[in-house]
Amino acid sequence: MSSADAVASMSTPPRSSGRGGVPLMLAPVGGFYLLFFVIPMCSLFVLSFWRAQGFDIVPTFTLDSYAKIASSPLYRIILLRTIGVGLVTAAITVPIAFALSYLMRFVFERRAQLILQLLLISLFSGYLVRIYAWRTILGKQGLLNSTFTWLGLIDAPIEFLIYSRFAVIVTLVGLLLPLAVLPIYSAMSNISRDHLEIASDLGSRRLYLVRTILIPMALPGVNTAFAFTFLLAAGDFVTPNLVGGSQGIMIGNVIADQFRGTGANWPLGAALAFVTVSCVMLIVWAINRVIRWVTRW
Amino acid sequence: MVTSGQRRHYGAGIFVLAVLLYLYAPVVVTVLFSFADSPRLSLPIQGLTLDWYASALANPLIVTALRNTLILAAISAVGGCLAGTAFAFGVLKLQGLRLRQALLTASLLPAVVPLLVIGIALAVFFRFLGSQPGLLNAAIGHILVSLPFVILSLNARLETFDFSVVEAARDLGAPPMRAFLDITLPLIRPSVVGAGLLAAALSLDEFIVTWFNVGTQLTAPVLVWGLMRRGVDPSINALATLFLMALLILIIASSQLGRRKSA
Repeated sequence: MSSADAVASMSTPPRSSGRGGVPLMLAPVGGFYLLFFVIPMCSLFVLSFWRAQGFDIVPTFTLDSYAKIASSPLYRIILLRTIGVGLVTAAITVPIAFALSYLMRFVFERRAQLILQLLLISLFSGYLVRIYAWRTILGKQGLLNSTFTWLGLIDAPIEFLIYSRFAVIVTLVGLLLPLAVLPIYSAMSNISRDHLEIASDLGSRRLYLVRTILIPMALPGVNTAFAFTFLLAAGDFVTPNLVGGSQGIMIGNVIADQFRGTGANWPLGAALAFVTVSCVMLIVWAINRVIRWVTRW
Repeated sequence: MVTSGQRRHYGAGIFVLAVLLYLYAPVVVTVLFSFADSPRLSLPIQGLTLDWYASALANPLIVTALRNTLILAAISAVGGCLAGTAFAFGVLKLQGLRLRQALLTASLLPAVVPLLVIGIALAVFFRFLGSQPGLLNAAIGHILVSLPFVILSLNARLETFDFSVVEAARDLGAPPMRAFLDITLPLIRPSVVGAGLLAAALSLDEFIVTWFNVGTQLTAPVLVWGLMRRGVDPSINALATLFLMALLILIIASSQLGRRKSA
């Protein structure tokens, strides 16, 4: 114990008096979140029950916007498509993130920090730019098609590469993968290597280790990653806008148009946003229940 | 699970490299095609040119966009840093692991709500307040979306902070402000500056929340978005490359600063 520790532990009263400032330190962020996050979310919810009249918004209580969503087959199709794209994106992203986290934790331990740095750099390097670049890669005369043609592999450009759901999913996986690695890797970091070695010295078989240690410990991280990926994929509107084409339109495009488009209807956009987020959360909850049930063993 | 020998890891190594290639392909392609002299964006690249940079920088709107972007980045860096550092410290000083965890989780909430929803919610809120869309509204959005990341990175970096040093100073009679300025601040400065740079990078790159709140003002991403929607134009790649370089410098500087263990 260093002398500083000794002094600190002897003089407990002044130490606790030093904590008087804690509420004051938490206040700025707390107040900021309340004012600019919680209240705006509530405002959005309230707005979804109002009515748009031309450029004005009339404060009433009406379920018009929700009724419009429920009765429109177009919104239903786009919402289902959005959920489908979100689920496929999450179903591709999470296993890759899991494998990557596993390798970082147990195989390339010494390189793990470097790989993590590279993932973070890619996460923060140019959201718009990375989406747009996929247009250059996947486009009709883009990198892939022109390379295949040049190599003589194809005669005509492959059409579905761009302006399709395929393009949306390829782009979204690339955007969200680094974010999905973070919770899974952090959950796996809590698994001690000693546990695994002791268990395996005691004669546990690999599969048994995976089932009793790896999966239960990593599961919370996997669930978080799945929820993030699904929600953020379903809420993206820039990706479908730039690479999705007409068959890739997602609910995010429709919502964004209600706020900045020509036929803007803010209450309808707000209602669409809440319907979408609720659907996604409901599905995440249901999937979590199923996974918990499956992994009860 | 615990494998011995390096031979078996070839497959795993290739997998990791393939994933990194997938993540970095867009960046590489953007930089590569910003120098290609054919406007058709296809391989093989015939020759190299700097024309796209010239035409990108000749855009008269770029000066305004850059100025606004820098203003927003500065506001987010300073605002996010001050509030985020206070919060991260406050959380660390709290008794009780569960309360600490709960507060930390709550502080990350804006990062898991789609930016589209945050953007429109703020737009609605400002409309209710009667505040015209503009740079100030966008700045508030930028601080909001960067705070979770600032807090997360500060929390990781300050976890090792040794409070006993400060307490020793206090016990020896230093007033709180003096102890903070002479002991705490020099120790945490790299972490705080690192977090500020991260906030600046996030702000520089922020498009969605900006788009719904900035009104008719221009920022660099809003300008780039306008160009992208108009069609394929190689000068976008040039602009994007310059933009990427600025971001990379900020991000790498931020992570290097965090690495220099302060305490």
